[in-house]
Amino acid sequence: MAVDVTNLFKATVKSVKSRNKLSGENGSGDKSSILGHTRKKGDFETKAKDVVSNITQLRDFLLTHRKEYVNTGSHLSTEASKMSDAERDQIDNDAQSIIRKCQESIGILRLDSSQQPVHPQVKEHRQIVIFLMGEYLKAICKIYSEQKAVRVKRAVDRKNISRLKPETKNSPIKNTDLSSLLKKTKDDGTVEENLSSNAKTPNLSKKVPPPPENQPTFSPDDDISPEEAQMFEEENKALYDEMNSMAHEVRQIEGKVIEIAKLQEIFAEKVLEQEKDIDHIASTAVGTTENIIDANEEIREAIQKKAEFRVYILFFLVMCALSLLFLDWYNG
Amino acid sequence: MELSPFTRKVNPEVPRLGVSTCHFVKMAATLREKQTAALRRMLNFNAPITKASSNEPQWKILVYDRFGQDIISPLLTVKELRDLGVTLHLNLHSDRDTIPDVPVIYFVMPTDDNVQRICRDFENQLYESYYLNFISAISRQKLEDIASASIQYSCVAQVSKIYDQYLNFISLEDDLFTLRHQDRDAISYYALNRGDVKDTEMEAIMDMIVDSLFSVFVTLGVVPIIRSARGNAAEMVAEKLDKKLRENVRDARNSLFTADSAPGQFSFQRPLLVLLDRNLDLATMLHHTWTYQALAHDVLDLKLNRVEIEESTNVQSPAGSPRPMKKKKSYDLNTNDKFWHIQKGSPFPTVAEAVQEELDAYRTQEDKVKSLKAAMGIEGEDDSAISMLSDNTAKLTSAVNSLPELLEKKRLIDMHTNIATALLEQVKTRKLDIYFECEEKLMSKSVQDKSLMELIADPEAGTPNDKVRLFTIALICGPHMSEAEIDQYCVALTEAGCDISPVQYVRRWKAYAKMTAAPSQYGGGGISSTGMFANLVSKGSQFVMEGVKNLVVKRHNLPATRIVDALMELKSYQDVEDYRYFDPKLLRADSSSVPRNKSPFQEAFVFVVGGGNYIEYQNLVDYAKSKSLTSPKKIWYGCSDLVNASLFLKQLGHLGKEI
Repeated sequence: MAVDVTNLFKATVKSVKSRNKLSGENGSGDKSSILGHTRKKGDFETKAKDVVSNITQLRDFLLTHRKEYVNTGSHLSTEASKMSDAERDQIDNDAQSIIRKCQESIGILRLDSSQQPVHPQVKEHRQIVIFLMGEYLKAICKIYSEQKAVRVKRAVDRKNISRLKPETKNSPIKNTDLSSLLKKTKDDGTVEENLSSNAKTPNLSKKVPPPPENQPTFSPDDDISPEEAQMFEEENKALYDEMNSMAHEVRQIEGKVIEIAKLQEIFAEKVLEQEKDIDHIASTAVGTTENIIDANEEIREAIQKKAEFRVYILFFLVMCALSLLFLDWYNG
Repeated sequence: MELSPFTRKVNPEVPRLGVSTCHFVKMAATLREKQTAALRRMLNFNAPITKASSNEPQWKILVYDRFGQDIISPLLTVKELRDLGVTLHLNLHSDRDTIPDVPVIYFVMPTDDNVQRICRDFENQLYESYYLNFISAISRQKLEDIASASIQYSCVAQVSKIYDQYLNFISLEDDLFTLRHQDRDAISYYALNRGDVKDTEMEAIMDMIVDSLFSVFVTLGVVPIIRSARGNAAEMVAEKLDKKLRENVRDARNSLFTADSAPGQFSFQRPLLVLLDRNLDLATMLHHTWTYQALAHDVLDLKLNRVEIEESTNVQSPAGSPRPMKKKKSYDLNTNDKFWHIQKGSPFPTVAEAVQEELDAYRTQEDKVKSLKAAMGIEGEDDSAISMLSDNTAKLTSAVNSLPELLEKKRLIDMHTNIATALLEQVKTRKLDIYFECEEKLMSKSVQDKSLMELIADPEAGTPNDKVRLFTIALICGPHMSEAEIDQYCVALTEAGCDISPVQYVRRWKAYAKMTAAPSQYGGGGISSTGMFANLVSKGSQFVMEGVKNLVVKRHNLPATRIVDALMELKSYQDVEDYRYFDPKLLRADSSSVPRNKSPFQEAFVFVVGGGNYIEYQNLVDYAKSKSLTSPKKIWYGCSDLVNASLFLKQLGHLGKEI
């Protein structure tokens, strides 16, 4: 358990001060004013603190509006959602612009700090400070993207549930939560409920088309014989089952597609991380090939010069031999 | 192989891959976790750490001295420091530049040098605000020095906080702590038993040890009952510690042991502190060992949970002939590593098999991921049904999520493979298994093989140090040898190139210490060697351990363990009978030292003054485990510093030369 001796220290400071006064020391301690002079904050520090406070504001903003944004009521909550989709879009845009601005300012800080001539320790410190800021920003971005992913997923789910695409004329009823509303649309028609993403749930009831105007193929005056009725009923049942299973599969596909999207995001992240390394490797490889080409040239020249040198040596030796012969003949 | 008496409150900040058993009966947090938590709080400007999901980073600079470095390095990695906002970590006595506008956290011992350096930092106005944390309590005088310096250089307002951290110990494992690493010579066995040691020096050493033990108990928040033998350094330590604890408990205003201990602490019984002196048992320090962690300490010099291995890789030089290049690689071994945690106490062959198993398991997982890739390739062309796609997607998701874990696992397996290979090389060249077998036989008082003389004379088997160790153990625990025999052995040893001054010292020590009962203390053990490694070789393992015997170690109790057992269970052995008894919570210093305790103890701290090693630690751990079924026990082991056999032999050599 750590013991806080700060108070003891302060008391000691007071006693030492009074002791100094008593012994009449010239107050170099008088330099410190009673208020304690504030030191001027350096440039880098203020800018860094600004960026961090911006990011913190963004985080608070996202967290306070999170509940309404996500709107974790059921799909069919009859109460109006507290946030219209326009507001949601605006939140998205604002958040994105703030994130972009913060990233730019971090980049500017990085450039600045690398250009300034300072002590190596200070430089290292600043680099790590910038790194920590980047990490913080990444964490906040994650919050933001999670929120957005939830919203997109809910929109997709909602679209999925509310869209009906019956294949045949006698489309069966989908026995979902919408059964109460859709009882009106028992018979045919491509009842396409095209909900825009701005669909508030009360709109759902409005968008449900009025009872079908175009009647089915058989006139209501026709009598339906019992056998036909049974056949129709069986057909209905079969179609209904088929629709159910297809809808089920479609829902599964939706889920899987979202998972794939998530995976894509992870891959994209990893690829981006590797991008820098790959660029570096590519440039190094290019440099290497050039070096090798130059080296080959040099080697070729060297071989050629060696050959020439050999010729000269041979020539010289032959001349020496001839001169010897000549001298020999001359003397003798 | 988990220590079942162990409680492990999973620290939320430190991800644990290890197995954690939960017996929520005893103290919730271990010593190591408490120390780590204290460090984190200190790095958070001494404010308690909140659990907000993403906190604003506050950057700071950490300045430590040698002791601080030793304390922090086994507990927090550089990455964790960075996550806590520490941008730079610097040594106090290095050249430091002015870094404006940044708060600095000092974690130093309150020595004169350090205080002077801090005052110089004030003078140079290096940082913006200062948070001083002293590892042990700072004296009034030095506090005044700092105060006057801060007044003189007009930075009183910048000294934000001063704390006494009481963290003057190094915890390496959850139940193992030592006191010093980089300054170990001050409190080593040599320093304590030197012929020319002065009283003042002795006092200084004792004070250091007492201060550290005091910090241990302050961090844990308990007051133990102390027992120690009579007539040696441990007794002095016990008296001083008792006095210090008593003073602190009495002082109602600043008592550090108030009732507001950590929540969830249900221990109704106070733990027992057993103070032992190294002179009790010298043989264990020189013993050759066979368990993984102890072997790493002995052969590869495990320091602060880190091993350094020289790996030689073949590099093709331009001339065309391969040149072996030696590279030093260092590995961290800590409790986050599940494999290490389970295997660190097991005998070496078991470790080899376990590494092989892990490698196979990893390969199967890797193949699964690879096959997934093939499957995806095929499926992509085919317009397959939805169900197959969803299966693959799920598989892909799980594969991607498990990739980082797989990579981490691979790294750990590689690390353990390298370490085990290095150990195996040493074992084979120095024939350590034969030494181990021989020493075990000697220590358990079975028939002494005639191979002792052969081993010593054999130039192949082992370094000279090994031979001296073997002979010293024979001298301590073997049957009585006449002077002539001893001289004969000494001649043989000198021929083999050994330095026999340790032997001289041990002879004298044996004469002084009235260790008549010494041989019997090692009794009860033995080994059974089951010949060659037929089954291992047939498994096609990487470790070709032919020629290395498969030694199955039967459990036996070292002297330290026996004493701890006797004291905890309140048995009455004759050598334990007249151990002194101290209880700091009693009103009067009870000098009659009659044990007042009726029930057996459940928790014990064993502290050895003068050095300890992993063999004793492992023995205590095994003892606790064996007792866990009948009566769960929790035992901590501490020593003034962890010495391996070669270091200890050197110290004995110095002592022997001074005779």
